[in-house]
Amino acid sequence: MSSRPSSSQTSVGSGALSHAYIQHPSLRCNVPESRGLFYDDANRLLICVTSSQVFSWETATFNPDVSPSVDSIPEGPILSIRCSLGKKVIAVQRSDCEIQFFHRETKQTLTHKCKAGSESILGFFWSDSPLCDLAVVKTSGMDLFACDSAMNLRLVETKKVNVNWYIYTHESRLVLLASGLQCKTITGFQLSTAGVVRLPKFEMTLATTESNSKPIISPGDVHLITVYGRIYCLQVDMEAMLLHTYRFYRDAVVQQGSLPIYSSKLSVSVVDNLLLVHQIDAKVVIIYDLFVDSRAPVSAPLPLLWRGYQGSDTSSQQENEGTESSTSSENIVMYEDAWTFLVPDLILDQTNKAISASSSDRSSLLEFLQRRKLEANKAKQLCLGIARTLILERRPATQVTQAIDVLVTAYSYSVKAGIYKELKNEKTTATTPTNDGASPDNERGRASGSSIDEEEEVEMNLPSGSADEQQESQLSSPAISPDELYKFVFASVEEAMVEESDYLVAIITEFLRSISAEKLKVDLNIYVMTVRLLAHSKRFAELSLFTTNKIIEPSKEVALQLLESGGQNLRVRKLGLDMLRQLSLHHEYISSLVQDGYYLEALRYAQKRKVTSVRSSLFLEAAFASNDMQHLAAILRVLSELIPGFKETSEYYTFHGLLNETSSSVAV
Amino acid sequence: MGMASMSSNGESLKLCVFDLRRGQNEGQELDKILFFYPPDVTFSTQLSVIGLSEGLITFTRLFSPEAACEVIEAERHSHIFHEAEPDIWMVMVVEKNKEIEAIWRVDALQKVLKEVHSLFVMFHGSVRSLLDKEPSGGLIRSHLYPFITDYLNDLSVGKKLQLPSFRETLKERGTVQMLTLARDAALEVQSLVGVLDSCAGTLRCHSVILFHDLLVSTTLSPDDTVDLFTFSVMRLTSNALSSGTSSWSYLRKGTSLSQTSSRSTSPQLLVSSDSLPSGNGNDAGRVIRPLQHNKWSKGKDGFLVTDIWGKDATPTIWLQQREERVHLLAYQHKCLTLVLLVPTEAIVNGELDISFVKHQVTENASAKILKVEEKLSKGWGGENAYHVSGYRYLLVDNDMEVSRASPSGKVATLAKETLLAVNKLRETVDTEKSRTKEEKDMEICIRAKNNAWAIARVTRGKELYMALEKASDTLLDATDSVQSFSNRYCNGTFSMD
Repeated sequence: MSSRPSSSQTSVGSGALSHAYIQHPSLRCNVPESRGLFYDDANRLLICVTSSQVFSWETATFNPDVSPSVDSIPEGPILSIRCSLGKKVIAVQRSDCEIQFFHRETKQTLTHKCKAGSESILGFFWSDSPLCDLAVVKTSGMDLFACDSAMNLRLVETKKVNVNWYIYTHESRLVLLASGLQCKTITGFQLSTAGVVRLPKFEMTLATTESNSKPIISPGDVHLITVYGRIYCLQVDMEAMLLHTYRFYRDAVVQQGSLPIYSSKLSVSVVDNLLLVHQIDAKVVIIYDLFVDSRAPVSAPLPLLWRGYQGSDTSSQQENEGTESSTSSENIVMYEDAWTFLVPDLILDQTNKAISASSSDRSSLLEFLQRRKLEANKAKQLCLGIARTLILERRPATQVTQAIDVLVTAYSYSVKAGIYKELKNEKTTATTPTNDGASPDNERGRASGSSIDEEEEVEMNLPSGSADEQQESQLSSPAISPDELYKFVFASVEEAMVEESDYLVAIITEFLRSISAEKLKVDLNIYVMTVRLLAHSKRFAELSLFTTNKIIEPSKEVALQLLESGGQNLRVRKLGLDMLRQLSLHHEYISSLVQDGYYLEALRYAQKRKVTSVRSSLFLEAAFASNDMQHLAAILRVLSELIPGFKETSEYYTFHGLLNETSSSVAV
Repeated sequence: MGMASMSSNGESLKLCVFDLRRGQNEGQELDKILFFYPPDVTFSTQLSVIGLSEGLITFTRLFSPEAACEVIEAERHSHIFHEAEPDIWMVMVVEKNKEIEAIWRVDALQKVLKEVHSLFVMFHGSVRSLLDKEPSGGLIRSHLYPFITDYLNDLSVGKKLQLPSFRETLKERGTVQMLTLARDAALEVQSLVGVLDSCAGTLRCHSVILFHDLLVSTTLSPDDTVDLFTFSVMRLTSNALSSGTSSWSYLRKGTSLSQTSSRSTSPQLLVSSDSLPSGNGNDAGRVIRPLQHNKWSKGKDGFLVTDIWGKDATPTIWLQQREERVHLLAYQHKCLTLVLLVPTEAIVNGELDISFVKHQVTENASAKILKVEEKLSKGWGGENAYHVSGYRYLLVDNDMEVSRASPSGKVATLAKETLLAVNKLRETVDTEKSRTKEEKDMEICIRAKNNAWAIARVTRGKELYMALEKASDTLLDATDSVQSFSNRYCNGTFSMD
């Protein structure tokens, strides 16, 4: 039995073409005499049982070094096993009429039986609703029990329904009870923290064919998934080769359309709000984004590969891939019959790369990426990369504009929604390489040949709670702030695009328009850059328009850039001077005026504003250089008034001497 | 020929264009005359005007080879000179009469000459280039004649040519008037400009955008902008198209009058193109008259159409800065006029490519055009938007060739004495400016006969002229008023001690 660290490295070998990966290496649980593996989705426990022992691994924290906790239970058959939500009690279904409870601390046991013969137990699950702690689903309906710390069960309520089978996921807190001959009549209850809600009864769609006029739905055909906080039910209709989707509302169930099926065996999983449909026979995964109305897949069918799987490692047969999937707790077999895994995960970054290569509409791709929560940093890096590429490839400005709009709007939204604020802390850790993957056990070096993955690893804070909790507990978002857009997109392409500055300026203008519409601010260096670009392409008229209309926001840095760019054009230099004056940057203004030879104006300004920080010799030298002794005399006089004790300085002495030498007629 | 009535005006204004490099041999003097207005005066009169001018130029060049004479004040006439191109001279002779209206500023008259010349160059290329094309001079004459005549038509009020007099002293010809934009509107406008830039594929299109008769944006150099702006306000903007009757812009007035006259049989400056000297250098054998009246109209697709350049032909103009020939497309939405300049290299398949560009504009820019128009209309302060109560002013930025002035309706309320004082003031500044080439700061205050103040402040390429009619004001009060105006409306540009 071993626990292995995980890393998000990609193997360069067999996985090269694949974009959907199973994380490898996986959690290994080589338990001798294992009698079965169970996944407790409420507690995110992978449970392995032997005849008298229970081994359980935490999968939620994704700690590679976790060791299983071991509990002893009396021997006996185990149909299913689940821990209570406090993990104090282990419940084991022994037969179709008996469930046993074991208190892990007090070692107390309790046996719950149902009326033999008239009904049988289909299963049970723990609940965190205020009403009850345990639900037992029987053929005659569902019993809800309250359970106190002393492990006394008290029947709270009974829901009378004829049940053929049921499915439940802790994520959705939703239990669906199937009844009827074809098992297509569904009664649903949500056992949420708000109480128990009964959903309207509904019928599932089933096509009939000549060969099979009364197809029956089995529990394996129905999947509950949660994406973007919405609960959907997916139902396989083998006859029609369709996967029907139903969305649950509080008071209605609405069919939402169907997805095609290409395989007789099928399973689904959800990764980062994306629906992955495993077409098992076809050995491919098709990814859908249910957020958009279109039912088109977001990428071409992808092979599902093991990340880091080296091919020769046949020991995989006993491995379970147990990671924090949100959806199904069901064991399915894929690709190789002996592979059992719960749900593949950690595929998002690769998925995105596949999409970026296969999707031609960049802005919808960016929208898509901005909705990604899992591995937000990777989504973010990808977004930045896409934006950079769009510009570098000199895509039509309208296209780039759309893309930028998407990013800015998403950022603005996330700031308003308060997501981005939390991100700020995370950002620092995410972008500091030393904090990368806090666990030292991360074996990044394993796949040494891989250089694709430059991104940092992102912590897996996966939600264990309801949809609401899921939203809240997301600490990161792929939103990109305007400053980051400037830094990682515009500033980084400036050098490459300097000969295409017209184009880049158009893009920057759109960017500024976009952030202005959202009332956001951006690093003022973007204005410096805009000045530089406009001056480079000699678009002085526009530079002037940009400045006077304040598209380029005034600042000292911008003013200095204008002065510098004004080396080629006096008009531009004047814009810089004006800006200095308007910003009351007296010292810079006066120095620049003197530099341009307007020493009298400069001195007058200095006199008026009582600015004494400018070296007095500047004025004197300028006047002396222009050979205007009257000016020199005037300046000496003004300076003596302006600067206390000026007459005692050597400067005064020098220039006064010069003045007397050259022209005795001018009185000082 | 319906030009009889011209003889009465003919006395008051003469305008000629001649080439000093031509007709230097005796008997060939007529060669140097490229244009003469009025056209019906005898050659001997023409030659005597040109001969005198030439003599004065030659004489003054002895002292000032770089800049020969600008003006000669004779007893009954003023001769205003402008060397439009090397050795191509334009001379305007105006009669001094007893009428008080005939008081003008030389610089303002020179600006008229400059304007007509640069407009000519924009449409036809330089005078010299046309002369080089056809050394006989027939080509340039056939172009100059209708062009300047059409231009002068704009200046005519009633049967008279009205030259910019002292009443227009708070205006500056040859500058652009701009609309002040809020930042968000400016960003929308620039976003639109960005789209227009790329309407012809990879070759960048220039554009000039106007709202009413004010400039909103330009991608051209200041010189080109001024020319195109002037032309647009004359012929293209919504005000110009709507027969110009209510045009509040001080630049153009009285177009309606010439419009009616061109249809009637009443006396007019130009009868018809039949009476023009035939131009044989033009490919179509036909001289294009870009300043012709009533030739532009708005098409169904929003683009302005004209047959001046021929049926279904797109106008072309020259950009001075790049010496580049471009196609001119004008699009209008309500009061918003877009002038798009498409490089000729981008138009390989003639009208097919033009309609492609038009399609691009409607396809990519319409939404933005609507948005910009909406934004600008919302912020539109009306004709008197730039009126500052208590002040009558003119603000000129020589660097950007931009000016802003009190609305003409407000200026008209000034007393004649005040206007005359401002006129005088401007003349003084003109003289001072022409004396030293380097930019200097200066401030001049004049107390007019009616106790009004006329104040000029000039600083580093920017000029502010102001008339303050509050008789009780002391000089201190007046300069304080200027100071606070400068601080509030000019970012403190003219704030002095």
